[in-house]
Formats: sequence, C-alpha cells, structure tokens
Amino acid sequence: MTLSPSRRRLLATAVTLATTLLLPLSSASAEPFKLVGKPKIAFIYAASAKDGGWNESLDNARRVVEKEFGVKAAVAESIAEESSAVKNAIDLFVQRGFNIIVTTTYGYSDGVLEAAKKHPGVAFLAAAGTTNAANLESFYARTYEGWYLAGMAAAGVSTKKKLGVLGGFPVSVVNWDVNAFTRGAQAVDPATQAIVIYTNSWWDPVKEGQVAKAMLDQGADVIGNDLSSAGPFTAAEKAGKASVGFQLDMARHAPKGHVTSVVFRWEKHLVPTIRKIIAGTWTPSEYGAFPGMADGVVELTPLSAKVPAPVKAKIEDAKAKIIAGKLTPFDGPVLKQDGSTAVAAGASITDEALWSMDYLVKGSIGSMPATK
Amino acid sequence: MEAFVTSWLATLPTFATPLLLASVGLIIAERAGVVSLAAEGYMAVGALAAAAVTLTTGQPGWGIALGVLAGAALALLFGIVAVVFRADQILAGLATVAAGLGITGVVGREYVHQTFEGVAPFDPGMLGTIPWIGPLLFGQDPLVYLALAVTVASWWAVFHTRFGLRLRAVGEDPATADVAGVDVQLHQLVAVALCGALCGLGGAYLSVAGSSVWVEGMVAGRGWIALSLVIFARWQPLRAVLGAALFGGVEALLPRLQAVGVDMPVYLGAMLPYALTIAVLIAAGVSRVGATAEPASLGLPYIRQDRR
Repeated sequence: MTLSPSRRRLLATAVTLATTLLLPLSSASAEPFKLVGKPKIAFIYAASAKDGGWNESLDNARRVVEKEFGVKAAVAESIAEESSAVKNAIDLFVQRGFNIIVTTTYGYSDGVLEAAKKHPGVAFLAAAGTTNAANLESFYARTYEGWYLAGMAAAGVSTKKKLGVLGGFPVSVVNWDVNAFTRGAQAVDPATQAIVIYTNSWWDPVKEGQVAKAMLDQGADVIGNDLSSAGPFTAAEKAGKASVGFQLDMARHAPKGHVTSVVFRWEKHLVPTIRKIIAGTWTPSEYGAFPGMADGVVELTPLSAKVPAPVKAKIEDAKAKIIAGKLTPFDGPVLKQDGSTAVAAGASITDEALWSMDYLVKGSIGSMPATK
Repeated sequence: MEAFVTSWLATLPTFATPLLLASVGLIIAERAGVVSLAAEGYMAVGALAAAAVTLTTGQPGWGIALGVLAGAALALLFGIVAVVFRADQILAGLATVAAGLGITGVVGREYVHQTFEGVAPFDPGMLGTIPWIGPLLFGQDPLVYLALAVTVASWWAVFHTRFGLRLRAVGEDPATADVAGVDVQLHQLVAVALCGALCGLGGAYLSVAGSSVWVEGMVAGRGWIALSLVIFARWQPLRAVLGAALFGGVEALLPRLQAVGVDMPVYLGAMLPYALTIAVLIAAGVSRVGATAEPASLGLPYIRQDRR
C-alpha cells in the first residue's frame, strides 16, 4: 500500500517547509542562474498525471507551459518518492539534454537537492519541495486565501450556519485551509460553526463519503473537501447539500450542489519563472516561492448562482483586498478553538506562524491531535 | 442519542458489506484447503470492472456482473498457478495482489475520478421511522441484502450439501478425499473461483454502491482485514457477519464521534481497525470456539504421488 502523493506531500511539507523557513540554506546564492544549452523542459510526477487532484493540477500547467514556450515537455509518471528513484529519472533527463526540470512532490526534496548539486547547469523547480539551492527553488501556494473566500461563499448558501470540512492529515498546509474556510464563513456570519474531520485516508472514497455523510447527519449543509476524493461530493450531492472543492474544478462531481472550488493555476508561477530562467535573470529564493491569489496561482472557480448577491459583493471586496495585500484570512484577533489568542488584535499572521499552524480556530467542532 | 445511533447503524453496512463478501469468499477457498492472500487484488479488479462497465453502459447491474467475473477470472489465474501447478500458495497469492493492483492502475486510467450513477439504497418509507434499527434494516441498497443472502447460501452450501462435504473433505485431507473419488483439484479450483467472484462482488460494492466512483487503491486494505475475519469467524460464513459488523461498526462510528465534537486522537482512530484485527486474532487464538475448525490441510499443495 502506498501513500497517495498528495497526502504524503501534505504530511510532511508542512513540517519541513517550516524548518526551511527558519534555517535558510546557505548554498543559495545571489547570482542569477545561467542556463546551459537550449531550454528543454521535463516534469516528474510521483503518481499518475491524471490523479484527479494535485498532479493533475500541475499537469494542466504543463500544457500551458508547452503552449507558451512552443515546446513539448517530457513527462515521467509514477516515479517513486525516493531519492534514488528521482535522481535516476533526473539523470536520464539530463543525459537527453533536458535542463529545466519540474518535480512535484515533497518526497523528492532531498533527491532533487543532490541532483541540483550534481547538475549545476540545470534549473530545478520543486512543487511542495522543501529544499532550495542556486539552481533549485521549491514552491507552494497560499491556498488559505482561496479557502477564506470559499468559506464566505459557503456561509452565503448555508441555512443552518454549520459547515463540514474534510482534511487529510492535521498538518499546517491542511490546517490553514480548514481554518481559513471557517474564518471566511464567520466573516459573513460570525455564528457559523464548522465540523472538522481529518480522514487519515489515502484513497478511500467510500470512507471519505461516509465521513461527509456523518457531517451531514450532524446538521452540516455545506461540505468543504480539502481532499481530491469524489466521495464527499457525491455524498453531499445525494443528500441535496452543497459542496466546495479543492485543487481542480470539482463541479463535475456535484453539478447541482457545487458552490465553488479553490483551484491551482500553477502556470501563473511556472511560466514567468521559466521565462526568467531562459532570460538569465532567475535567482532562486533561499526560502522557496510562496505565491498566492495576487500572483493568480490560487483562484476560485465561478460562484454558484445560489450565492446571494450581497455575499458575492463581499467576496469580490475581500478578494480585491487580499490581492492588494490589505487583508489576510488570519488578521488578528484570531482565536483558537479553546478561546486562547493565536494572533493578537491589530497584528497579522507571519509566514512562520502559518507553516507551524497546529490549531483549529474558534467555532470549529472537532479535534486537533497535534496540540495534544 | 437515538438519532445518533440510528444514523450510525444505518451506515454500518456500507463498511461491513465488502468485508463480509470477501471473508465469505475466503472461507470457501480455505475450506477447500487453499489460502488465497489475493483478496485485495480480486477486490481491486472487481471495483474497476464494475465502475468501468457502469460508466460505459450506464447499467450498474452489468457493472456488478462484470466485477464478479473479473474477480473470478483473476482468482482462476491464481488457482491455475497454485492448484494446477502447485506453486506456493502464499507467494502466488502475494504476486496476484500485485498483479491485481497493477492491472487496475494501468487499465483504470480511462475511468479514474469519473463519477456515475451507482446503486441507490431503497427508500425505507414508513419502516425507516422505526427507532434505532429502521434505516439499518430497511434502508440499505440491494447489494447489502444480496450479500446477506449469499452468506447464508454459502453456509448452506458448505455445511449442508454434498458439494460442501467434498469441499471440506478436500481441505481436511485431500489424499483421503482423492481415494474416495473426489476430484481434489477441480473442487479447489471451483472454490478459488467462487472466492474471487465474491471478492469481486465486494470490490464492485465499493465502487458502484459505496462511492459511485473509481480511484486507484480504493480497496484500501479491506482485503487484508477480510483475511483476518476468516480466522475470527472460525471458517464459518454466518459468524463472518458478526466480524464484518464489528469492523464496519467501528469504522462507521469514528467519523460520527468526531462530527459531534468528541475529542479523539486522529492517529489512534486510523490505527483502530488494525489494532482491532490483532485483538480479534488473539481472541480467536485463545478462544475454544471452533478450535478445530481450521482445515487441516490448509495451504498445503496436494500432489497425488506424494500421498501416504
């Protein structure tokens, strides 16, 4: 049995990215990277490129990259999340002349760093990676910005003022989605509560559907699904309730109840970055890249017609403020589930605090094992 | 409280049915002396075949039928290797799991993440308002009732028919059965194919009734849990209902406790089915119930020339 890559990514990205932020690698230099040879792009996936979520979102970006640069990118799928496996794949690509390599999972981090040292003339872009170097930059997205707006939309369609959210594992990249969703809903109606359940499952749509059903039975009328599983959507749809998706547009799984999906537009990060690499102006950040809505990397799919117009207007307003940098979903006061203060009034959350988020916010129903 | 228990019990069969079908299938095979570790693989091909056919034809009935056939076909492949060519049953079983999971990964690319109209539960109507057990007994999908019928039929076939007697004779002492004129290999092959068919049905349940979608790896270890249920049930199909209900009950309960805000550690919850498996195996080992139920020649390939 193998962990699904997106879950495995989530499991540990948080932990290690947090340490990366605290302990920047000294190997990252200030000199722009010089690409050796004509640009040839390759993508390495840990699972099928058609996994219905994470890998597919990156593969969609690959198509845009191909179009944009008029090249055909090479693809390797289901490369095991082991240093030796990804290093072999990279070596083979480099031998064939590929010099811009996009890797797609946390589990590759160490292998990619070693490969980057071995091939200094090759540029590496590591999605959900945790390592950085003079020719390697990891990237993840500020998904919580989208989840905040999605939470506002959910509150707009909820009549019971009770939402349900499914997360995979209680790690920061999931926790901030879950909490932003709750806070977004509370921005529309402060009385809104959210049932939070971590499914701890890899690919188990039967179980994930039943988890959603348990929330619906407890009175939740909008299901936010931080997993890419279809199970929760079909469960909500069958019950005639609404749902919010993540990673890809999940409307196809819930044609009636779909409110919106928080989706990745990785091309908005990859295209400009690759353009810089080719132009010789790319300097990888020693902290990795962390783009959000302002960069267009995180987006909402068009809102369902069921979202009331005043709420729509509020969402548009919040979106504009997020893009302008005037609002973050975790502007203080942010209270934890037990009422203690996470972010003081007047302050806003730091990236460091984001990467170490191990609590649920006030109004959540459920438990967070990490703090125990 | 009443509403909580009623809705909890109502979802129990969704978790229990695939386990029940697979463990009954395994009981039949093991009664004939064949250890078939590949339940996970049979379920995987069953789930995919059922989803693929349902997606293509729009007919869940055909999907389920093909899921059963796919499970039986993979099991027959295992049977030919382990029964006809007498390969080591454990190794052949493990290889079959890998084959089943691998095949589904490749073939499934066309069908992955596509939701479809599966099998819907019956509307219990007035009966659903019976407190505690109304929805549990009357609001399930047809496959749940089919699974119970299949279980009773299997019990009847194993213990009350001539075929069942021969099957058990083959599992206890193939040499004696052989001398008595029973075709050992034929009975073992039939038992293995039935095992695959039932596991295939269990897999079909997952995709067509349980979730209305297929994804790679969606069997998620249920085939292995079914193997331990066989021991818990002491090779007795009716007792497997109890084991499956126990596991299904726990699986269905965990998210519901979380949904009402009971503070419980996520990782402990994830561990529970497997901890329960160990507990069940210990209980079965210690208990005197059916202490001699294990088929005496379980797992031993029968070679006529070697008999004594």
